[in-house]
This record gives sequence, structure tokens and C-alpha cells, in this order.
Amino acid sequence: MAKLTYREAVAAGIAQEMRRDENVVLIGEDVAAAGGVFKATVGLLDEFGPKRVRDTPIAEQAILGAAMGAAMTGMRPIAEIMFSDFLAVCWDIVANQIAKTRYMTNGQFEIPLVIRTANGGGSRFGAQHSQSVENWAMAIPGLKVVAPSTPADVKGLLAAAVRDPDPVIFFEHKALYATKGEVPDGEYVDELGKAKVLRQGSDVTIVALALMVPRALKAAELLESEHGISATVVDVRSLVPLDTQTIFAEVEKTGRLYTVEENPRLCGWGAEISSLVAEELFYDLDGPIVRITTPHIPLPAADNLEDATIPSVEKIVQTIRETAG
Amino acid sequence: MNVLMPQLGETVEEGTVTEWFKKPGDPVEKNETLFEVETDKVTTEVPALKAGILSKILVGEGETVDVGTVLAVIASEGDEADGETDEAAPAVEPATAPEAAAPTPAPAAKVEAAPRDKEARLSPVVRKLLARHNLSADQITGSGGGGRITKQDVLAFVEGGAGVEGDAGVEGGKDGGAGSTGDFKPFTKIRKLTGDHMLRSLATSAHVTQAIEIDFHTVDAARSAHGAAWKEEQGFSLTYLPFIARAICLAIADYPNINATVEGDGLKLHRDINLAVAVDLNFEGLVAPVIRDAGLKSVADLAREINRLAGAARNGKLTPDEVTGGTYTISNNGSFGTLFTTPVINQPQVAILSVDKIGRKPVVLERDEIAVRPIGVLAQSFDHRAVDGAYAAAFLSRLREIIEGTDWSAELV
Repeated sequence: MAKLTYREAVAAGIAQEMRRDENVVLIGEDVAAAGGVFKATVGLLDEFGPKRVRDTPIAEQAILGAAMGAAMTGMRPIAEIMFSDFLAVCWDIVANQIAKTRYMTNGQFEIPLVIRTANGGGSRFGAQHSQSVENWAMAIPGLKVVAPSTPADVKGLLAAAVRDPDPVIFFEHKALYATKGEVPDGEYVDELGKAKVLRQGSDVTIVALALMVPRALKAAELLESEHGISATVVDVRSLVPLDTQTIFAEVEKTGRLYTVEENPRLCGWGAEISSLVAEELFYDLDGPIVRITTPHIPLPAADNLEDATIPSVEKIVQTIRETAG
Repeated sequence: MNVLMPQLGETVEEGTVTEWFKKPGDPVEKNETLFEVETDKVTTEVPALKAGILSKILVGEGETVDVGTVLAVIASEGDEADGETDEAAPAVEPATAPEAAAPTPAPAAKVEAAPRDKEARLSPVVRKLLARHNLSADQITGSGGGGRITKQDVLAFVEGGAGVEGDAGVEGGKDGGAGSTGDFKPFTKIRKLTGDHMLRSLATSAHVTQAIEIDFHTVDAARSAHGAAWKEEQGFSLTYLPFIARAICLAIADYPNINATVEGDGLKLHRDINLAVAVDLNFEGLVAPVIRDAGLKSVADLAREINRLAGAARNGKLTPDEVTGGTYTISNNGSFGTLFTTPVINQPQVAILSVDKIGRKPVVLERDEIAVRPIGVLAQSFDHRAVDGAYAAAFLSRLREIIEGTDWSAELV
């Protein structure tokens, strides 16, 4: 085990797969010479050279169009869209081409492509560079959607995404790049579609994703020590495929479900989980399902306003205290 | 080691723990009786498979769980007491009966604090738990927001009325609902299963009942001649029942559609005759143990088998395979003096016969002579899907012919 930052784990995961398979290539804006605008691809150009690690112009449609073509001819490209907000620029290629080609060609073409992108807020970047858009991706059939919360999960899930035969959108969280954690040495591959139970409690079950996971864990500690409420915390990790088995099992034990979501409220991923739980576990629920989300607004850039919108530890604690009885 | 709900018979899917003979903390010897379990038709004691300390009981008395569910944990010497439990199962002390847990009424102030429309605010899981444990919301004081009863409140109440943080109290006993006085008696498992089976049978089969009057003088002659010696030798009385059972087997040989099961668009005729004999368990329930291959047995064999099965039934010692696989049923109500009974078919069979009082009556014989004879009515309910009235009547007529025309003394020797 080595202690790596979340951003170092990104580079470690990419390097592991590039060493294993020469068809794995990396392209994107500033991913090569600059080592990534978030420094998540440092050292890859030196190790693998300019043919396999390529800088591109500022043209997201070109990045994903090139990556899709490469994937159709047998390569396994990793394409970076610097900010997930910019997926909107190239959404036709993502939603209409990449997601659908396997189906429309009756399986004659596979698209083994990973789109890495920096997602989420908390960095005062304003409304066009801070969004959590994992629910956009989740809404398109044909895409897999992954969003890790720890360095170990970054490395293992990134490797699994590269090896997957279908397109995966891999959401890295901007506010987590500096966080540190133990990461297994050597070849490490995780499994897509498996949630992780990080903490077991008896009163409520909190389901969270990405940056909301460490906040949910902190909130669970405070709920236990200061308010006598014992919480389970589940890290969803993968929205598509979704590990309903783990989520249902944990909700059934406590009878209460809270989702903590950074995406704006309307049609956020927690709405889908809530509807599944209501449908499948109605007779095991001991109270209303409660969603804790960012409100349905464009995110402000001002520190105090951004902090007031994205679910915080205090907001999670307060909401659960008020509703868990 | 986990103690599991055993599989008592091939078709049994769940069982009810009726009694624990050990408490948590008690030492347990291998093969020592640990608990008693009740299934569909059988109550049996289950021994420990391993020696150790009973560290936890997870399923309390009165609870019904699926086969294979962890009921308790036996820790071996040296094991951590909690080492082997399944985390998913909540640790529950043996559930105390609500009546037993109820002696202390909650302080009046507490009761008033609860909202009036508690029922309307129960969560789905609380409703489910109340139903499972046969509780009513009035018995439990809620600790949740606005006095709401939470899942934890119910679980705590079930564990022994302690309540969450000493908050949940108990109000009085329970009754049969608003406006009703008198005791409420929850159904026993066997009562409920019998009820379900009867309703299902009436919904399944097109019941028709026919009755025939029979002169039992030939049977009576055999009983008079051999009854005393029989009792001496066998230790129990020779009743009419084994003779009727033998006659049924002989009549079925001529009318095989009576010994059958409706399957889809056809009738499955059973090669063997497995006679189920309904036995009352002191008004506490009904069970119908089965005489296998009754068609191959003599009157004497049938008498011994009926006596053995009835004894086993009354002592709760029937094995699951002794209560399944019947192809025709006899129900005997004679001891109470009833004239006849219209029985409900024991599914998936197509006919059932009721034996009622056989008593001495004046009858008119051939040539208008009057004689005193042992007369009884045999009533058979049959499934009109399987056979028509004429066929069933012909079967009864044949049955009468066999009973009245056989030299039963010769059969007994």
C-alpha cells in the first residue's frame, strides 16, 4: 500500500493500463506536456511518449470524435474533457453516437472508450465550471457512469473502466484531487457496478456519491456522538450499473433512506434510487425517504453562496436530526 | 455454531418456534433438547447438534420463520460469545407474550402525550411488524417525532416491553377491537392452516355430498365374536373404523375415479390407496395422518395402523411424511352421536367420507320383518369436477354391498 493523492491515483490507474495494453492511449486538452490542468496526468508523457499521450486543441467535439473513431478501430482511448460542464459542447457525440453505436450496428462496433472529466463544485469556479452533471450521463441509455470518492477507488475503477468493452464516463471530483488515501500497489482492478458500505448503523441509511461521501461520513460521526443517531453510509461509486442489491439491503436494515447528492435536485440520481426503494421496499420503510441535494439553481461563484448551496456536513446533520425520529 | 430452523418434511417451508428449553448463557449438551418447533401439521422437539453455551436466541417463541433461518447461536468453549452470529439478524431475546409483558400500565401523562390518530401515522414497516407480532398500536408508546411509533419502538416492545430509552410503555391488555368486549384468541398455527386449507378447498372443488344408510350387522357380529379377545391381545378396542376402511379400499378397486386428483384438464388416478384418517386433537386442531398402501392391508393391519397413527397424532409425534400423500380421507365424528356430517374435501383429493353415529335401530327387512340392527349413515363429499353424482352414488352403493355382505369374522381370523 502506498499513500497517494486522488490526482496521483488517476495517473497511476492510467499508467497501469497503458503498460498492460499498448492500445490504451490518452488524449485531451493539456493532458501531455502540462500534466493536466488538475495535474492528474503528470508523468504519463515522459513514460509513454507523444504518440500515446496527446494534447489536443480546445475542441471537445474533436477530442471525443477522434476518441470514438479510435475506439471503433480497436484502440482503447481515454479521453479527457477538462470540466464536465463542457460535456454539453460535445453532447451529440456522447449521447447520440458513442452511447448508441453498439446497438445501431448490431454489435459490429464496440466503443471501449473512457471519458474522464473533472466534475463538481466547491472550488469557486462559477456556474459553468462547477456543475455536478452525473445525472445527465445517467439519463442516457448505453453509457456507464462511475464517480469514485477515494484514491483507491480511482485507480481500481479507472482500470475497470478501461477494460470494459463499452463507453464509460468517469467523473473525477475537483474538490477531491488533493485528498490522500491508501492505494494498493501493483496491478489493481476493481469492479464496476458495486457499491461500498463504509459504515454500519442501525437508525438511518445515507447513500452518497463522490465529494458527498466524505461529508456523509463526517455527518454520521457527528450524528452518533452528538445526537445518538446511528447511521449507515453507502458509497454508490457507480450509477450505471447501479448496485441495487447493496442499497436495498442497507435500507431494509434501518428502514430509512437519505440520499446526499451534489447534482441539482430535479431528476438527480437520488430520485431514481428513491423511486426504486419506494417500489421495492415500501413495507420496510419506517419513514419518508429524504433527499439532501443542491437546489435547482445555477451555482454561484461567491464562497459563502456556494457553501450555502452544496450539501455540507452541517446540512446533512441538521436534515437527518429533524426528520429521523 | 448457528442453530437453524430445520427442514421437517419435504414440502415444509417454514416453522414456528413454540418453546425454548434453554436461556442465553445456559450450557447445552450435544443431543440435548434445545427447542420445540411447530410446522403445518407437526410439533417436534429439536436437539442441539453440538455442545457449547447458548449465546444468543435470535428467534423468539411464537415467531414463524423460513426453513434455514438462524434461530440461535451456540458458542463452543473458547469461542467469542458473539463470534458467529449473522450480522443481518437483530439480536432478539425470546419474545414475551404481550399479555405477560403488560402488567404495568404506563403513567397517564405518557398516554395523553401520544397523538390521537396514531394508526393513521404508522409507517409501512411498523404496520408490518405489528401484524407479524400480533400487536396493536395502542399497546406501544411512540418515541418518534410527534409521538410517532418507530420501527425501533416495536422491536423494543417485542424484546420485552422495555422500550427505547425507557420511553415506550404499555397500555392495558388488548381486546378484539373498538366496540367489542370479550377475549381475543389469536389463531394457533394449526387453526390458521386448517382454516386456509378449508377455504381453499371450497374454492377449488365443486362439493356435492351424498349419504347412504348402512346396516352394520355383519361388522357387529365380527366385533362381538372377536372384540374381547382382540382387546386382550392388542390392548385397544376393535372399532367399526378399520372395517369401513377395508371396505373403502375394496370399493375403490371397482370405482378408481374416487381415488384420484384433478390435474389440469384431467384426472390423475392413484395406483396406491393412501387413506388419511382425520384425528381431532382435543379440540385444539385437526390432523389427518395417512395409512400408506391401505389397499394391501387386512382389517387387523388397518386397525393397528389407525390406532398407532391416532396415538402419535395426539402425542404430537407424527413425522411430516406421515401427514402427507393421502389419496382419500375418512373423517370420524361418531362418538358425539351426529347423524351425518358434510365434510370438506382434503385437497388435492376428490372425495372424503364421514362416519357418524352407528346405533341400534328398528329396520324393515325383506318380507317386511322388523329387526333391531346397528345402523349408521356414511356421507361422502365428492368433487363434481372429477365424477358425477351417479358414479359417486354407485361407489357408495358398492361400499354398502361390501360392508353388509362380507363375512368379517372370516376376514379377522
